[in-house]
Amino acid sequence: MLEVEGLEASYGSFRVLSGVTLEVRPGEIVALLGPNGAGKTTLIRCIAGLLRPRAGAMRWEGRPLGQAEAHTVVERGVAVVPEGRRLFGSMSVEENLALGAFAPRARRGEASRLEGVYAIFPVLRERRRQLVRALSGGQQQMVAIGRALMADPRLLVLDEPSLGLAPRLVESIFGLLREINRGGVSILLVEQNVHAALALAHRGYILEAGRVAAEGQGSVLLNDAHVRRAYLGPLAR
Amino acid sequence: MTAFVQQMVLGLLIGGLYGLAAAGLSLVFGVLKVLNVAHGQLIMLGGYGAFWLGALAGFDPFAALTLVIPGALAFGAVLYWTLFAWVVRASEETRVKNSLLIGFGLALALDALAVRLWTADERSITTSYAGAVVSVGGIAIPLVRLASLVLAGALIGGVHLLLARTRWGRAIRATAEDWEAALLTGIDVRRAYLLAFAIGTALAGAAGTLVSVGYSVSPSIGLEWTLKALVVVVLAGLGSMPGTFVGGLVLGLAEAAAAWGFGGPYREMVGLVLFFVVLVARPQGLFAR
Amino acid sequence: MTRPRGLALGVVVVAALAAVPRVARTDAELNFLFLVLLSTTLAQSWNIVAGYAGQVNLGHAAFFGLGALTTRTLWIGGTPVLLAMGAGALVATAFALLIGVVAFRLRGAYFAIGTLALGEILRITVGNVLAEISTLPAATIASYRLADRYYLALALAVATLAVVGALGRSRAGLGMQAIREDEEAAEASGVNALGLKLLALALSTALAGLAGGLFAYYHISYYPSHPFGPHWTFDALLITYVGGVGTLHGPVLGAIFYVLLKEYLAVRWVDFHLLIFGALFIGIVLLLPGGLVEAAARLRALAGRRAP
Repeated sequence: MLEVEGLEASYGSFRVLSGVTLEVRPGEIVALLGPNGAGKTTLIRCIAGLLRPRAGAMRWEGRPLGQAEAHTVVERGVAVVPEGRRLFGSMSVEENLALGAFAPRARRGEASRLEGVYAIFPVLRERRRQLVRALSGGQQQMVAIGRALMADPRLLVLDEPSLGLAPRLVESIFGLLREINRGGVSILLVEQNVHAALALAHRGYILEAGRVAAEGQGSVLLNDAHVRRAYLGPLAR
Repeated sequence: MTAFVQQMVLGLLIGGLYGLAAAGLSLVFGVLKVLNVAHGQLIMLGGYGAFWLGALAGFDPFAALTLVIPGALAFGAVLYWTLFAWVVRASEETRVKNSLLIGFGLALALDALAVRLWTADERSITTSYAGAVVSVGGIAIPLVRLASLVLAGALIGGVHLLLARTRWGRAIRATAEDWEAALLTGIDVRRAYLLAFAIGTALAGAAGTLVSVGYSVSPSIGLEWTLKALVVVVLAGLGSMPGTFVGGLVLGLAEAAAAWGFGGPYREMVGLVLFFVVLVARPQGLFAR
Repeated sequence: MTRPRGLALGVVVVAALAAVPRVARTDAELNFLFLVLLSTTLAQSWNIVAGYAGQVNLGHAAFFGLGALTTRTLWIGGTPVLLAMGAGALVATAFALLIGVVAFRLRGAYFAIGTLALGEILRITVGNVLAEISTLPAATIASYRLADRYYLALALAVATLAVVGALGRSRAGLGMQAIREDEEAAEASGVNALGLKLLALALSTALAGLAGGLFAYYHISYYPSHPFGPHWTFDALLITYVGGVGTLHGPVLGAIFYVLLKEYLAVRWVDFHLLIFGALFIGIVLLLPGGLVEAAARLRALAGRRAP
């Protein structure tokens, strides 16, 4: 449903992506792995419409994506949980969630979807009047995922949701992601936490220096030389 | 003692207009990260708008608000599309600097235009009730100015509710806080910019109308009102409409106290000195949250 | 233009300007050229701190005003005018360094609005303390020679251009331009940002103080707060941007264009030139950030391509 083909992108004269090709199929969880600076976040910014690619193509449900304005990407069913969560800290939990349903399409059924989010994250219902910046990191991550779900996405893109969270919390968030996926939402997951991500994902891609260095099923990738080189250092070879 | 209280009451009354003048500037700065130094000129135009409606069509100045506000909304939209839409494309630092320059050019052009259209004379709207005064314990309260204070408070309260309760109000606040995150939630950020700029201009227009009733307008008041609004924004910080209103009242009172203590000519100084001190004391923290 | 050719052209222009008082039939021509030269000096002085070092100083009139006030007071009191002007420059620079240490804690637009407030504080104070109009004594008026003022203005403009020209090629000038582009990066590569900004401010305000002194020497009667008025800053800003900010030729071209338009239009419409200049200025900021200098360079490049 999401196809990225030969994507190139750069900041100024500094090229970050040089021909990335990948795909997310309906119902899949796809992990996108790679060391810092490999271009993972840049790829997400391209998908979200925040950065115009220099070359290549992106298609979403058969229609081109790359030239769309950022705010229309949500309307078409792609919701992004950005790196560092980027919540509206001076607003309440409920206001943040309501903003998630800002896109016109997402306004239908907003109330029932809010109930759904509260069912997944019951603690958010208790905290719904609190300002987001007063919440703990884990709760903030729940708000960030909840905000994206409020857009009624068919594809959920997450950029390092485990960043700064305790291992137990990561486990429970990843469990919830699996549940969300079973509800019919495809997921593209960018992670540093290789084991957790590959355990969750159906398939994975390794990004290195702006190119896809390896791809395959989670368990296969885990044993792949690229993964070991990227994450365990040259000595592990 | 009565003289002092009288001064302070007058200070409070004009302070409401300072708050209203600052509210628009604060909204535009907070949301667009654009510092429109022609804000005072927009206030001036609002004043002349009401003056024209009175002179040419016999409008009562308070009734003129019902036309000045929509007119200013539209004018703000046009200004945004023709000038500031270009500026907001730049990174935030260049944005503030360029907006300063654009606003400066705009201020100059509007000043010159006002001289052409209305001459350099001071104008103020006189009504049948202009001289009406209520007296409370020996303190005279001009009714027109009291009505202006109440209206200023009501308008600021209205915008506050708009921002707090409505869908687009929330979108405007989200854009102010993090425009990229706002885009990711599906908000058309440029429309939020447009709305904020138009509302800011409408607030300026309303402030100008009230200035032309209780006080006076001339083509040269622009810079003066921009400075007043800037002082209030610096005192009150960004992000809260009621806070801005209170900041305006504080400036009005401080001016009155300075005029009473050191004499009339020092009225203008107190705000500028406060402004500079606060600015230097918190150079980064001022507009950051 | 190559450097020797530019220099030769400059010498010819200055020689021609120096001959003007001998051939001019009325004072009008001299007055016009005086205004061009004064505007060039003032704009160029603003250009040092704003164009080269990137600090948009909206309180520049304060230094012009301090120079005028000091010079006028000393000169009428009997001090030779050149000495009085030197004192004016000294006072302006001392004041600038005093507030510069504080004001340079502000970055970008906050520096701009902070200095705007400072300038206004000074203008209001002077207006309050010295409310009386300042007029030259009758004896001075009787012996007033416009040509003296003109030559002084010419000398000051030439000196200013020489200073800015030398600055542009010096290490300090390069450091200032690095600060303008990216202050943090400049500091990271070893540029003493505060020191260079203070140096730019000192040079800029010394020249502005001299220009103010020239104004005090030239003008027969004015209110002491007049040279502190914000329009002096705005004139300098407009001229610099329209001509080409951060360049040596820009303020010269801008001043000629500005005074020409102002004097020509003022005959028929008061203040109309500001409407045109305001619009022009907006257009330049949005579409042609390099001003007239960039426009000329583009035209030359275009012509060069057509006729190789």
